[in-house]
Amino acid sequence: MTESLYRVGVLIKYNALQRLRDPSQLVSYLVTPMILMVLFRPLYTRAIGAGRVQTVTGQLVMFSVFAMAIVGNAIFMEREWRTWDRLRVSRAARAELLIGKSVPVFLVLLFQQFVLIIYGMLVIGLPAPRLPGLVLLAMSIWGFTLMAMGSMMATLMRSRGDLIVAADVGAITISSIGGTLLPVSLMPGWAQAIAPFSPGYWGLAIIRSAVLGNPAGVLRAAPVCLGIGIVTGAIATYRLAHGWGRSHLV
Amino acid sequence: MLRATDLTKRYDDIRALDGFSLEVTDGEIAGLVGHNGAGKTTFVEVVSGLVRPDSGTVRIDGRTPAQVRGQIGISPQHIALYRSLTVREHLELYGALAGLHRAALRSAVDELAHALRLTGFLNRQTGLLSGGQERRTQAATALIHRPPLLLMDEPTAGADPETRQALLDVVKQRAAEGATVVYTTHYLNELSDLQATIAVAAHGRVIARGSAAELLNELPGEVRVTGGGEDVRVCTTNSTATLLEVLRERQQPVESVELRDPTLDDLYKSLAAPHD
Repeated sequence: MTESLYRVGVLIKYNALQRLRDPSQLVSYLVTPMILMVLFRPLYTRAIGAGRVQTVTGQLVMFSVFAMAIVGNAIFMEREWRTWDRLRVSRAARAELLIGKSVPVFLVLLFQQFVLIIYGMLVIGLPAPRLPGLVLLAMSIWGFTLMAMGSMMATLMRSRGDLIVAADVGAITISSIGGTLLPVSLMPGWAQAIAPFSPGYWGLAIIRSAVLGNPAGVLRAAPVCLGIGIVTGAIATYRLAHGWGRSHLV
Repeated sequence: MLRATDLTKRYDDIRALDGFSLEVTDGEIAGLVGHNGAGKTTFVEVVSGLVRPDSGTVRIDGRTPAQVRGQIGISPQHIALYRSLTVREHLELYGALAGLHRAALRSAVDELAHALRLTGFLNRQTGLLSGGQERRTQAATALIHRPPLLLMDEPTAGADPETRQALLDVVKQRAAEGATVVYTTHYLNELSDLQATIAVAAHGRVIARGSAAELLNELPGEVRVTGGGEDVRVCTTNSTATLLEVLRERQQPVESVELRDPTLDDLYKSLAAPHD
């Protein structure tokens, strides 16, 4: 058990180092929503009641979905650099490899959401959440969902080009249909009908409920987010554990 | 000890392994040679546990590859390094995953860095290394934990002479300490340098196995006699007798006589020639 924890710690350390040395995507997904929040705030505050909440949570969820690309790149890199098989031959068990890979990207996703919430409070005027623990729980659940979806995407794509297209088109589709740009109530009827099928809808629901201090809303959205995360995570885990291409773990 | 018996592996229509068997004892370096597509890399992948064979068995000291994970050092054919991590971080990562801690890990890193001449760029990210430096770093990640089984898949491909010699020295040393080594290569002079036994692979199986001397004994050498405008070349397994016979029957004056023993290159060409 001690040896296992040691290996997981080592994997987390070196995966985290790689994330820290390639921060460009994260910086992009932090700065862009910050600019858009400032630009959209007057529009949202005039158009809808809870304009500041929509401004912050909408942009936060939209760019957290974009951040799936960070997860995807972290995993796809192992394939492109042929390093995953090196790890699979090591003493580290599959679960250790997956935890070591997941924890740093999960922390990156949490960090992004945390910074955008703080920015929203300080610059946009988002009211301080009454239940910070609920916000942390919601961000963690949503972060898990994003991590699992990003991992699945990376393991199913054939090339980095495919991954970039899937991440960009997927993020725009998932987040906009989910109501991050325009509240669902203002969208056309057909879009309102399909909105609940988008993970972005439930991501926005859980984050907004947590920010507004609404535990019932968080409880309603949490099972859906977790369900999406478990299904997509299972597909990603299967693909990762069995290798890509012709490799097959014995 | 490595014992692979009757391995088969198909990828769609391609038989990558087709009855591949090989035994390598402790302290032995087995040079695995053969043309591209002969099955060398697939064999290495099967032994390392990365690829499941369709049939056949692999035993490493009586256990399956899955049971000895972490006790195999593998240096794949292609460079597989994290571009943003330094050489030192690579050695620490793979050493730590193999169970080395603190002082033992530091000591292993320093020793191997010195042996493979990595010391000068230990703190450089591998994305900034030259080809030879990458090769040495990759080999070092396979050697860092002193594994009892080493699988080196063309570890010197494209490497400069300095890189090649440094690596060969370390591999010889590890074998002398008792490690079992499978070393695939296209550079046959490396196998002479390593004093390796030889396995020639073709079409997914080993078609010849033995020491270099044993295998070369079965090959003809060449007797060449020139003079008087003639250049006579005769392939023979008994060069002395053949030379005497050529000289006895010769009418022209003799200017030069050359006896050429068979080389590993001849062996490679004769046994591993690809079939159309």
